[in-house]
Amino acid sequence: MRFDTVIIGGGLAGLTAGLSLQKAGRSCAIVSTGQNALHFFSGTFESIEEVPERMAGLFSEAGVRLHYQNGVRLMPLGSFRPAALALDDVDIFPQPAFSRKALIVSIAGYQDFFPAFLAEGLEKQGTQCRIHLLQLPEMAQLMQSPSEMRSVQIARTMDRVWEKIVREIRLLLKDEDTVILPQVFGLQDTTVPGRIRESIPARVVFSGTLPPSVPGIRTQQQLKRRYEVLGGNYLSGDEVIQAHVHEGIVHSVVTRNLDSHYLEADHFILASGAYFSKGLRSNPTRIFEPVFDLDVEAAEDRNAWYDADFAAGQPYMQFGVRTDSALRALRQGEAFKNLYAIGSVLGATRPEFGSGAGLAIRSAFAATDQILQSSQK
Amino acid sequence: MKMQENTYSKHNFEECMKCTVCTVYCPVLQVNPLYPGPKQAGPDGERLRLKDPFFFNYALKYCMNCKRCEVACPSGVNVADLIQAARIKYDHSAPKLRDRILASTDLMGSLARPFAPIVNGVTRLGVTKTVLDATLQIDAHRSFPKYSGRSFEAWLRRHEKEQATFPEQVAYFHGCYVNYNYPQLGKDLVKVLNALGVGVQLLDKEKCCGIAMITNGMSQQATRHAEHNTAQLRKAVGRGLRIVSTSSTCTLTLREEYPNLLGVDNADIRDSLTMATRFIYEKLEKGATLRFRPDFHKRIAYHTPCHLERLGWGIFSEKLLRMIPGVEFTLLDSACCGIAGTYGFKKENYTASQAIGEPLFQQIRSVNPDVVACDCETCKWQIEMSSGYPVANPVSILAEALEV
Amino acid sequence: MTTNDNFDVIIIGGGITGAGTQRDCAMRGLRTLLIERSDIATGASGRNHGLLHSGARYAVNDPESAEECIRENRILRQIAAHCVEETEGLFITLPEDDLGYQKTFVEACQRAGIDAEIIDPELARRMEPSVNPELIGAVKVPDGSVDPFRLCAANMLDAKLHGGQVRLHTEVTGFIREGDTILGVHTRNLQTGQEEDFRAPVTVNAAGIWGQHIAELAGVGIGMFPSKGALLVFAHRVNQMVINRCRKPANADILVPGDTVCIIGTTSTRIPFEACDEVAVTPDEVNLLISEGSKLSPSLSSTRILRAYAGVRPLVSADNDPSGRNISRGIVCLDHETRDGLKGFITITGGKLMTYRLMAETATDAVCRKLAVTRSCETATTPLPGSEERSYEAVARKIWEAPSMAQKAAAARLGTHAERIRDAGREDAALVCECEEVSVGEVKNAIERMEVSTLTDLRRRTRIGMGTCQGEFCACRAAGLLAASHGCIERERADLRDFLQERWKGNFPIGWGDTLREAEYTQWIYKHVLGL
Repeated sequence: MRFDTVIIGGGLAGLTAGLSLQKAGRSCAIVSTGQNALHFFSGTFESIEEVPERMAGLFSEAGVRLHYQNGVRLMPLGSFRPAALALDDVDIFPQPAFSRKALIVSIAGYQDFFPAFLAEGLEKQGTQCRIHLLQLPEMAQLMQSPSEMRSVQIARTMDRVWEKIVREIRLLLKDEDTVILPQVFGLQDTTVPGRIRESIPARVVFSGTLPPSVPGIRTQQQLKRRYEVLGGNYLSGDEVIQAHVHEGIVHSVVTRNLDSHYLEADHFILASGAYFSKGLRSNPTRIFEPVFDLDVEAAEDRNAWYDADFAAGQPYMQFGVRTDSALRALRQGEAFKNLYAIGSVLGATRPEFGSGAGLAIRSAFAATDQILQSSQK
Repeated sequence: MKMQENTYSKHNFEECMKCTVCTVYCPVLQVNPLYPGPKQAGPDGERLRLKDPFFFNYALKYCMNCKRCEVACPSGVNVADLIQAARIKYDHSAPKLRDRILASTDLMGSLARPFAPIVNGVTRLGVTKTVLDATLQIDAHRSFPKYSGRSFEAWLRRHEKEQATFPEQVAYFHGCYVNYNYPQLGKDLVKVLNALGVGVQLLDKEKCCGIAMITNGMSQQATRHAEHNTAQLRKAVGRGLRIVSTSSTCTLTLREEYPNLLGVDNADIRDSLTMATRFIYEKLEKGATLRFRPDFHKRIAYHTPCHLERLGWGIFSEKLLRMIPGVEFTLLDSACCGIAGTYGFKKENYTASQAIGEPLFQQIRSVNPDVVACDCETCKWQIEMSSGYPVANPVSILAEALEV
Repeated sequence: MTTNDNFDVIIIGGGITGAGTQRDCAMRGLRTLLIERSDIATGASGRNHGLLHSGARYAVNDPESAEECIRENRILRQIAAHCVEETEGLFITLPEDDLGYQKTFVEACQRAGIDAEIIDPELARRMEPSVNPELIGAVKVPDGSVDPFRLCAANMLDAKLHGGQVRLHTEVTGFIREGDTILGVHTRNLQTGQEEDFRAPVTVNAAGIWGQHIAELAGVGIGMFPSKGALLVFAHRVNQMVINRCRKPANADILVPGDTVCIIGTTSTRIPFEACDEVAVTPDEVNLLISEGSKLSPSLSSTRILRAYAGVRPLVSADNDPSGRNISRGIVCLDHETRDGLKGFITITGGKLMTYRLMAETATDAVCRKLAVTRSCETATTPLPGSEERSYEAVARKIWEAPSMAQKAAAARLGTHAERIRDAGREDAALVCECEEVSVGEVKNAIERMEVSTLTDLRRRTRIGMGTCQGEFCACRAAGLLAASHGCIERERADLRDFLQERWKGNFPIGWGDTLREAEYTQWIYKHVLGL
């Protein structure tokens, strides 16, 4: 099967590349080994400091609403982190002392949201906090299974009962200027967070939970749906296991599911992520890129992969595949003519693109620009 | 061997990162609180079961083996295989009569077919349904699939000579559904393949693929079927034939479940068995052509069946349907219809089954297509019953669109 | 500073010897206090294989230890059923080994009273499919596995049920001494900084390798022989029986299945006394453990490794053997009155996990002699709390009609005391740790009854964070529960950091493949998602 571009990896980087190429009229196939890091997405886009109009356009067409404001966001364990770009339902505050008095609402039996930690963090900023746990009969069914009081399962119920929660909160609310809720709203119905905000007479802040992330999953589904509406093919649960390369040009790739049916393309994008997503693999002697055996910038000595201090920056997380200035991937120092590496498979080898979400999006646009320009020639 | 260069575990359970993404996509978990969920039933449970079989949990029977957990897993853990393998290994309780009946699709078919009008009449009767519901706990909302008066095998045998005249030949694993309930799909396939210059043969003797036996706790019978069918396929491959199927579940079972769950080695013939849609697509890609009716016009919503999703071959059905002039194509969101073979037929699962499928039915209603396309026979029953829209196999749609 | 003199005996050290001694003393009617600098089983007690020795390993070189082992082995099966798994063990001979040793070995076992039976290699392969198929000889012995944390916790719990008191995270800073008599100890709580004196007519030094330091504080000398042993934990059970090499004891020649994992070890390296507090596993040790371990069970070369850890054997120096292996594992009980002229002070050391009960009995006998108490020891016949029933399957079925996986796991961990979480409401039935199936109720039970003040303490009581994800998800859930019990969020946040650091310490020496993936994911969750 032939495409203009085959993208290996269906996370933020791969989907951004796929969306911009499909929008430009190119046919793409995304090969995704299962779901991806968007399922653990915090809701703010790390390392994006400027207004990303191009990205905002692409995302809003998919129904993903973003907002931009330089400031800080409230982390689930009560600390604050700088942030600038976030999903619509994730707040960015000008400064940590954003509230005088807050009501933190959680659900009895829900362990993956940390109201006491939030309260302590906010109290350090001078915010008075009150915690309330909702007793919801609707949760009884979930609680029958000891492992199911988790964000996504709760969110499915919340899509149905959010109005009742709003009523309870209105009754609870005294003189608090802020209500803090877990991010368990708007999994299917994306309008729910906005409607909750409209119906509570205080600022409503949705704060993060343990993964999986409800806003992250929603974002993934919206981007994927838009990509498919644009005609893109998304091969879920498949894995590129081999590539056919001749004289520095990738001709096709082999996937586990399609076996002898190769995916051919003019261009290939490697957006396969880092270790978790198996874009980078490791064994006791080396760290390597499994599909193309690309050059990986990594310490040879295993002892130099780690810092014994968990909290320190870990050297292995800096490692990534090497590329030329146009993001074309290198093997034995030679750049492939039509293979681009984007997103976290780059590690920290291209600091000018930033890290995390910023790296994913900037490198995706850079690679797709190269592809669109080179095909025009 | 280099130490720790690669690590292996049964069905990759050690690759689980505990990320819980499988639980997000498990359709059963969303509706059945008795089910512990794919993570706990699969990789988590496996570590405990390895300690002591006592940790086996009978609630694993609620898994309907849709394999959505496996498609979603970022780590390549074969979660559903782990669960089904655990059931095969540890669940020694005898299956209920009802489950044995539901699982014996070919036996049921061969008994019922000669008396098709009577059987169809009887199983459709309200009183029969009530009896089935009360005695066998087969839900009264369900209609048994109609049995056809003449089997597909009998029909194709009558056309054997004519089929032999085509320059290229394939063998067709038709499955119980085409043989006993809906021979028309088989005829549609013959029509399309003939138009491509390909003649269709039967296997010497095929048996039910056995998937229903696996999920109903009859793994020994399933293994006997697997050994029989694998030998049949091997004979066909020996004659230089590829084998096509119009059922995504049969295909998945023959290719994947036989070696992974039943331990029946099919490595030598696995790649020779393919879905008809993939076979047709590949013929067209290599230059074969089909002529379509100029007046064909249909709004088609395509539902990828769970097992086709797991095979990763939905793309072939999609590409074929999009290729037909006059087709307005909508890809439905990836979601389970809730039937999962015999799962939805059981009284205890009826409510869950309908709740699982509801988002899909809603989307179908909002798209309001002329026809829903889908490569799975049980999805067809469920979607037709629950949404009211007709469902057709992509091969049947191709056949209908052909200019002959 | 406060002084408390309501005790007959003070025991220093919360390892298995200290906990066992406290139990024995308490059961004989003494008013006991146990003081531990850190938590239960943090030294050698918790840093070994968890092997329920049959004694076979010592039969040839140390018959006395072998006899002690098999006696205690039989006793522990009776009194510590919920801490013991009766797996049985194999001693295998590989082509590179001398098959002639097997005869020497079996004869020595028989002399020590160990039921050692030569079996056909083919039978061994059937009994234990993971065993190296190239074996040329096999001997079946009554080895098993024992959970040292559970054993230690059960001893301490029983001591408490007999009126004993426990001070964990409390350091002995000096002795209260009058002339040639020890009258008690000065202590400082390492978490709160609070200083407190305790008085008792007898103090027992059961501090393991750190006993040398305690003795020095008391002004007497003991020469310990610190010997480091490194081990690896594999992520699931590869074997169901203990597998040993039938040869003279050497590196990495025991593979023990325990709970959901299996453990290969050990190495043996002499280290200076000063290094005992921070022992790290080196890459060379990791390589050695994998390559030697793979000879016992070849699948270890391709099985995911969960963590690496090392312990220090508290051997008493006896000779100049550089490896430390030929030293007797025998029990050393020093009455410093007769040895050094120091009254009211006893040191119990040497020995091993297997013989802890006998050590405790020996020490308690010495204490009782000093206090003129005549009540005899009953620890060999009285089951530990939780061990009143032999099989956890029976326990689970007795408590619950249709036990869930988590309830079965709780029964396996708590024994009959799983009863305490029988009526857990739905909120308490929810899982904190999904890998090891630990519920909210079980965590709360540990916090209420088992002297838990940190997540790491909680891990030793419940197995939280010991599973595949190494605390990635359960740590912050448990932190929420722990914070609710002590009320200090800042302390809990620091505790969470310490816990993750402690997990990482055991992960990075084997940080590749899926373990590195997991580590990256954990970094991601705690740094980027949760903002710890």
